[in-house]
Amino acid sequence: MSGGAYARKTASIILCEIDLTKTGNGEKSALPLPQDALWYKDAVIYQVHVRTFFDTNADGIGDFRGLAQKLDYLQELGINALWLMPFFPSPLRDDGYDIADYTSVHPNYGNLDDFKVFLQAAHERGIRVIVEMVLNHTSDQHPWFQESRSSRDNPRRDWYVWSDSDTKYHGVRIIFVDTELSNWAWDPVSKSYYWHRFFSHQPDLNYDNPAVREEMWKVMQFWLDLGVDGFRLDAVPYLVEREGTSCENLPETHAVLTELRAKLDKFYPGKMLLAEANQWPADLRAYFGDGDEFHMAFHFPLMPRMFMGLKLEDRKPITEILKQTPQIPPLCQWCLFLRNHDELTLEMVTDMERDYMYDQYARDRHMRINVGIRRRLAPLLDNDRRRIELMNGLLMSLPGTPIIYYGDEIGMGDNIFLGDRNGVRTPMQWEGGWNGGFSTADPESLYSPLMLNPVYGYQAVNVQAQKRFDHSLLSWMKRIIKVRKSTPVFGQGSIEFLYPANHRILAYVRQSEKETILAVNNLSNSAQAVELDLRRFKGNILIEMFGRNIFPRIGDLPYLLTMGAYQFYWFRLRRI
Amino acid sequence: MAEESVLTDEFVRQLIYVGEADILIGVPTYNNAETVGQVVQTIRAGLLKYFPRERAVIVNADGGSRDQTPDLVRGASISDAQRSADFQALRTLHCISAEYPGEPSTGTALRTILASAELLRASACAVVSPESTSIEPEWIERLLRPVFQGNFDFITPLYRRHKFDGLLMRNLVYPMTRAFYGKRVKEPYAAEFSFSGALGNHFLAQEIWTHEAGRTGTEISLTISAITGGFRLAQSFLGVKPHVDARSADLIAAMRQTVGALFWSLEPNFSLWSSNHDSQSIPTLNAGEEVTLEPLRINRKRLLGIFHSGVAELEPVLKQILSPPTLSELQRIAALAEDDFSYADDLWARTVYEFAASYHKSVISRDHIIQALAPLYRGRAFTFLVENREASADELQQNVENFCLTCERLKPSLVELWNGRK
Repeated sequence: MSGGAYARKTASIILCEIDLTKTGNGEKSALPLPQDALWYKDAVIYQVHVRTFFDTNADGIGDFRGLAQKLDYLQELGINALWLMPFFPSPLRDDGYDIADYTSVHPNYGNLDDFKVFLQAAHERGIRVIVEMVLNHTSDQHPWFQESRSSRDNPRRDWYVWSDSDTKYHGVRIIFVDTELSNWAWDPVSKSYYWHRFFSHQPDLNYDNPAVREEMWKVMQFWLDLGVDGFRLDAVPYLVEREGTSCENLPETHAVLTELRAKLDKFYPGKMLLAEANQWPADLRAYFGDGDEFHMAFHFPLMPRMFMGLKLEDRKPITEILKQTPQIPPLCQWCLFLRNHDELTLEMVTDMERDYMYDQYARDRHMRINVGIRRRLAPLLDNDRRRIELMNGLLMSLPGTPIIYYGDEIGMGDNIFLGDRNGVRTPMQWEGGWNGGFSTADPESLYSPLMLNPVYGYQAVNVQAQKRFDHSLLSWMKRIIKVRKSTPVFGQGSIEFLYPANHRILAYVRQSEKETILAVNNLSNSAQAVELDLRRFKGNILIEMFGRNIFPRIGDLPYLLTMGAYQFYWFRLRRI
Repeated sequence: MAEESVLTDEFVRQLIYVGEADILIGVPTYNNAETVGQVVQTIRAGLLKYFPRERAVIVNADGGSRDQTPDLVRGASISDAQRSADFQALRTLHCISAEYPGEPSTGTALRTILASAELLRASACAVVSPESTSIEPEWIERLLRPVFQGNFDFITPLYRRHKFDGLLMRNLVYPMTRAFYGKRVKEPYAAEFSFSGALGNHFLAQEIWTHEAGRTGTEISLTISAITGGFRLAQSFLGVKPHVDARSADLIAAMRQTVGALFWSLEPNFSLWSSNHDSQSIPTLNAGEEVTLEPLRINRKRLLGIFHSGVAELEPVLKQILSPPTLSELQRIAALAEDDFSYADDLWARTVYEFAASYHKSVISRDHIIQALAPLYRGRAFTFLVENREASADELQQNVENFCLTCERLKPSLVELWNGRK
């Protein structure tokens, strides 16, 4: 890594003075937020890559100072947690998921001090910060790997998974089928093969080696001491390999994770671990352990089925996958998302469902990558405001913690011709002027071209324009987040599905000891009538949560609702 | 007073929840618990296999079954309310059941199905008999695909039958429908068929529902409506149709539903059929072997006996229906020994045409006319069995074709009779 890129950063950004406190390691830590052990359950998370958000030094790349400057925007949006994608030094051959130094900041984005300033500023606004941590593999440029490959006698030789042949662990699936032919790659330096589950430039660490486990814990400690609130642990099913297995979800992998969690609870209570494990619900369940592994995990199989249910106008895919979802320990939580920085993965669907999804959402081959669809939310939904609202309504009301992918709150588009998944990683669109307000650099020097087309381009879709109008998508997103946060039921309550005869209506009751909320969603593009069996709530009146209007009291008869196309209701039930 | 709806409020409520459908399959039933379960499960399998993405519904129009028929149909539903998830199905499959008012009637059942199709805006519909236990999932594909793709509006079936099955069809209904309306629809009165939403709506708007004859023979009326309305027809080979032993009571009912409806249709369509002079084939899809030849016991003596007694006992009636030469010829062959008996193509075609003309003129009660044709038909059936006893499949098909050509050739005689005083 060269420091040249960062040396070019000259813009002077004045941020508020921050109060730093010493940690046991001598590092300074941002002031912690108030203790709330279940904060992750009530959170609304915003996912962003520093690079994409705001450039303060005119080098065409977003940076931590820029992200800090935009915290007011995020606070106004209403989110209360940020998930930062990898910002570590890296050759950037996989968008930063190929880390070359775990305890520093890539010079493109600033330096460690910038990070600390940002973290403090976020905490001051009540926004927690979740940091990406790639445990499974490093970049092949990481000094550990350079040492490991240098000779078979090197002390770090056993930090990676080496073999003299490429036949070990035969039959283990290849994840990046579009680019990789094998999970083994030949290293001409040490004249042997190394194991990699992702790109061949990302050698897997050897978690059978206690020194590796200890070193990765030290890495986590480094960031925890600075004050981060949690980690999103990348690619966790693949930590340990065993012959004759799929090398996924192995008990030995869970043992590694349990060990990490125990240390976290002991030394850093209140911090959170979020698992990225693209698995079926039954396999995912194990990552919660007995409440002693992950606090949260992404619900990967639900996401494509939400899109499927919408296109089919049928709640079946959604209710069935949630019925298949096992109970998780009380302190654990699912993470829900509509879109993220990766493709809309179709690994966790049947072949028939995958074909359907491709035909409905990715007819153009350019839209497909690996086993998924590389598109943003708005284009996936044909820029249909009603469908965008409905999907966000589901995201915010189904059981779990919602994650909003940056730019989706204003309906940003994608550029499927940019290669890999870069089409959904274009600069944030702040305004209609120079570079969409993202950077003052020459447009040619931006890390990625801006969206330019008349429908999704920055002149049509930007924060400034949407701030002006109450009916903009941005304003609507602020409202729904506010309503979501008005009650802990959405984050912590139970769910019970109603099964009205009209299969286009997805209705469920979210309930806590103190509160009951009824969510009714019309998945269809036409008006629908639905009768709900609410007799056990007889006597309650319904209060619509957005307008706070009163609906008729529940009686003995089925409760009749008529709903417009793609409309949804959230009702608070009150016995008055 | 407004006409009573065939759809009950409860059924309309069910339709509301089905919403819009791409495909509708109607199953008319009345106490079919023995077979309907297997049939609807096969329909369901066909829908899942061949139309997994389409919005489909199975509509059971029931005549008031006292067994478990409606429950068995509803049991084929695919719903998220069921205990276990069904990942083989993309969507919900509604199987709904309506008990229509009045007596059990195929006409009312079909009307219920048509009305459902219109309300659900189904683009492709099929009707399947609850007794078709030989049904395969492929039948659903073969019936519905041509309509669903928009290539055709009406698909009639072709079955693999024993050469002595479907005698009424081969000796009367097919040849006469073909002669009258100019289209070679081999199964104009079928237990299985499919139609487009457009044809369904067109048929539902016809006058037939207010007439007894129309209500009785709705299947053949639908075929005729498809032809006269200029809709696109094809026939699709489905598979084996098992042999069913027909009882004599069933024959009268079958005659009413087929010949009665066919004769009744001649009134409003005179200008069309009277100007047709030949016939055209319609496309055949998924062609297959239509005739099987395995041994089959049929009581031919009984057929001839009924013919003899009919000609003798019904002479006063037949005198009013038939011309003297035709009646005389019938009486002549009735006197022949069994080995010499032959009810030839010409005579049989002339007989039917004279019955049609008498029906038109209502020389006696129309229902009596239809009933009087039944014993004569048995004589014709006897001849068909004897003449084709050793026939190969091709020979049998050729014999049927020859009779059809005879009917077409003699049709001008009906036009003459139609306009004549008697």
